[in-house]
Amino acid sequence: MAAPAEGLDPAAVTFVRCTVDLGAGTARIERLRCRNLEDVLGGVGRAYQLLAERDIRAAYCPENPLVVSTGLLTGSAVMTGLRTYFSAYSPLKHSDRGLPAAMWAAGSDKFGARLKWTGIDEVVFEGRSPRPVYALFRAGPSGPQVQLLPAERLLGLDTHRKIMALHQEHPDAHFAVIGPGGEHYESVYMGAVALSTENQFKSGEDKCRFAGRGGMGSVMGYKNLIALAAAGPDQVPPATPEVLEVNKTLLKPKAGGSTRYQPVRQGGGGGTWANLEVMQAFRAAPENNFRPKAHQAVEGLFRRNVEKDLEVRSEACFRCGIRCHNNVFERTPEGPGRFIAKFDYEPLNLFGSNLGLHDGPQTAELVKLADNLGLDAISAATTLAYVLDYNERHPDAPLLNGATFGQFERIRDLLRRTGEGLLPEIGRGVKRLSRNLGETAYAMHVKGLELPAFLPETNPGYIFAVAGGHMSMQTQMLLAKEGKTTLEEWTGVITRLGLLQAGFDAIGLCKFTGVWINSEVIARAVQAATGLPMTTGQLEQAARRIYLRGLALEWKQGYTDAEYTLPDQVFQDPNPAVQLPNFVTREYVRDLKRRVWAAFAPELQELAPTFPPKESAC
Amino acid sequence: MRVKVKLHASLQNGRFEEGDLQVAELTPVRGLVQRLGIPAGRVGILVVNGRHARLDDLLAPEDTVALFPPVGGG
Repeated sequence: MAAPAEGLDPAAVTFVRCTVDLGAGTARIERLRCRNLEDVLGGVGRAYQLLAERDIRAAYCPENPLVVSTGLLTGSAVMTGLRTYFSAYSPLKHSDRGLPAAMWAAGSDKFGARLKWTGIDEVVFEGRSPRPVYALFRAGPSGPQVQLLPAERLLGLDTHRKIMALHQEHPDAHFAVIGPGGEHYESVYMGAVALSTENQFKSGEDKCRFAGRGGMGSVMGYKNLIALAAAGPDQVPPATPEVLEVNKTLLKPKAGGSTRYQPVRQGGGGGTWANLEVMQAFRAAPENNFRPKAHQAVEGLFRRNVEKDLEVRSEACFRCGIRCHNNVFERTPEGPGRFIAKFDYEPLNLFGSNLGLHDGPQTAELVKLADNLGLDAISAATTLAYVLDYNERHPDAPLLNGATFGQFERIRDLLRRTGEGLLPEIGRGVKRLSRNLGETAYAMHVKGLELPAFLPETNPGYIFAVAGGHMSMQTQMLLAKEGKTTLEEWTGVITRLGLLQAGFDAIGLCKFTGVWINSEVIARAVQAATGLPMTTGQLEQAARRIYLRGLALEWKQGYTDAEYTLPDQVFQDPNPAVQLPNFVTREYVRDLKRRVWAAFAPELQELAPTFPPKESAC
Repeated sequence: MRVKVKLHASLQNGRFEEGDLQVAELTPVRGLVQRLGIPAGRVGILVVNGRHARLDDLLAPEDTVALFPPVGGG
C-alpha cells in the first residue's frame, strides 16, 4: 500500500489487485486507486463494493467472484494484524426468493500476511478452473508472480493433511485450503477455508485457523480451487516506538478489551470459553437445539471440569500477545498428549450441550472432526441440532440415522457423512432442511445463516447482522452483560455501536483486541503502521458504510422485511427456563425494525434504491 | 448484615465459588468487590438478586450478589 505524502485523501492511496481467470488460467496484476475510505481499509470494505457491481443469481456460477483480501494492517507490526477475508455470494445464506446473499468469512495467522508480503493486497478469482488447481503467489524480481498448479493429488485429504502436503513442497509458504466439505460443494454449502499456522508447522498438529462462515470453502470447491499458497520470507516491518506503544495499549486492561481473552494464568478471562459459565448462570447456554433445560449438566463443559480429563494450553496466533486459543490435549503421565481441538465458546457449546453432550472429550472430538472435514462448525452443529430435535419430535419417522440428543456415536456419524458429501440434507443448511420438512419454527437461523451459540430470544440484534450473528453485529451478549431490554437501548446499540464490528473485517485486525474500531488506539495504529492520518471519525464512517452496504446487498438479493425476524419458536413458545428478561415479542421486533430502518434511512437511500423494504405482517 | 456472594469463572481463582459474607449496612457493591480483592475493572457483569446492578448500588441484608469477569463473544 503506497501512502500519500500528507493527509488522508483516499484517491492518493493505492492498492494492488490480482485478478485470476481460473477458466483461462491467466492472471492480471494492477495497481488501483482507492475510491473511498472503505477502499483504504481494505478487506470486505473493498470486496463488498466489487460484489455490489455484480448481478448474481446463483452462488455456483462462473460470474460469482471469490475475493480473497487483506486489510490495511494485515502484515503490519500492529498486534493481531493477521486477518484474511474471503468474500463471495454465498451458497448457504439466501433469501426466500432463492437468491444468494453476499457473505464474508475471516481468519487469522500468517497466510494473509504472507500474501501481502508478495506485494498483493487482494485477489479476485473469476470463473472456474476446468481441473483442480491451487494458486501459488510469490514475490518476484519485478513484482508479484502467480501460478496455477495441479492439485489432483490433494483431493480427498483433510484440511490438515492438505496443508502439510503443501508445506512439504513449499516450506516457505502459508496456505488456505478447503477440506472434503468444500470439495463436495454440491451437497455441502457450509464448507470452510482452513488457514495454516506457524504452530501447526512446528508441532505437526492440526492447529489450523478457519474462515468458516457462509460457505466460502464451498465456493472454492465449485471453482476447482483447492488451495492458495503465499510464499516468501517474513517481512514484518520493524516495530517503531509508536507501534510498540499501540501494542502495549492493546494488551493493557485499560484499553478495555483484550484482557477478557487472555489466559487465566495471566489474570485474563480465559477466552470465550468463559462465556459458557456466564450464560449458564442465567440458564441461557444453548442446550438441545437452543432450548435450555435449566439443569446442571452443562457444567460438564466448564473449563474446570474439562480440565479433569484433558490438558488445556493457552496458545496464540503468530506474534500475538493475546494468546486466546484454548487448545485441549489428551492427558498422559508425561503431560499433554495428542492435540484434539481448540475450544471457543461457539464450537464448544454447539458441539456440546446444544447436541445434548456434556462431556469434554466427546465435544472436542466433534470439533476436531468438523475442522478436519473443513465444515463451518457453527452451521454444521446448528443444523445437526435441528435434526436431533426433529427426531425427538418424530420418533416414529425420524430423519437419517435417527439420532437424538446425547447420542455421540450417531451424531459423529452424521457429521462425518455430511463432510463427505453424503448428507445434503445437513450440508445445505438448516433453512433449506426445515422448509423442505415444513417445520421451520425451531430452525435456528436468521436470513439463512445458522445462529452461533447465543439464544435468539436474548439477541434481537441477530436480525440486523449481515454476515453472521456474532461477526457483524456486536450485540450477542448485551442482555447478559447489561440487562438492556428497551427499544431505545437496543436501537441505539444496533445503529451506533454494534454495526461497527464490520470495520474489523476490513482493517486487518482481530476483534479480540476488544476495542471498538473508532477507538483512538486504532487511529494511532493506522498512523503508526502506515502514516495515514485517519481519524476516529473516519474509521467510524467507513465501518458504518461497510455494514450498510452489506444491508443494501441483502435487499439487492431479494430479502423482504418479513425475513428480518427470529425463529418462530421465540415468539410462539418462550422458554421459561431462561433466567433473563423475556422481552422479544413479535410486536417488539416490529417496533425495533421501524426504529432501526428510520435511523439508517438517510444513509441507506443512496446505497439501496429499494429501501425501506415493504413492511409485512411479520 | 449478611449477603450471599457467587463468583463465576476466573473470579473464583484463589477465592471461592459461593459463600456468605458479613458487611456493614449501606455498603456499596464496590466495597464488597474491594474486600474480595477483585480490581473493579475485572468485574464485567454484576447481578444483585437476579437484576443487573452497578458498583455504586447499596447492598441490603440477605442480598445475593453474583460477579462475573468481563466476557466477549466470538
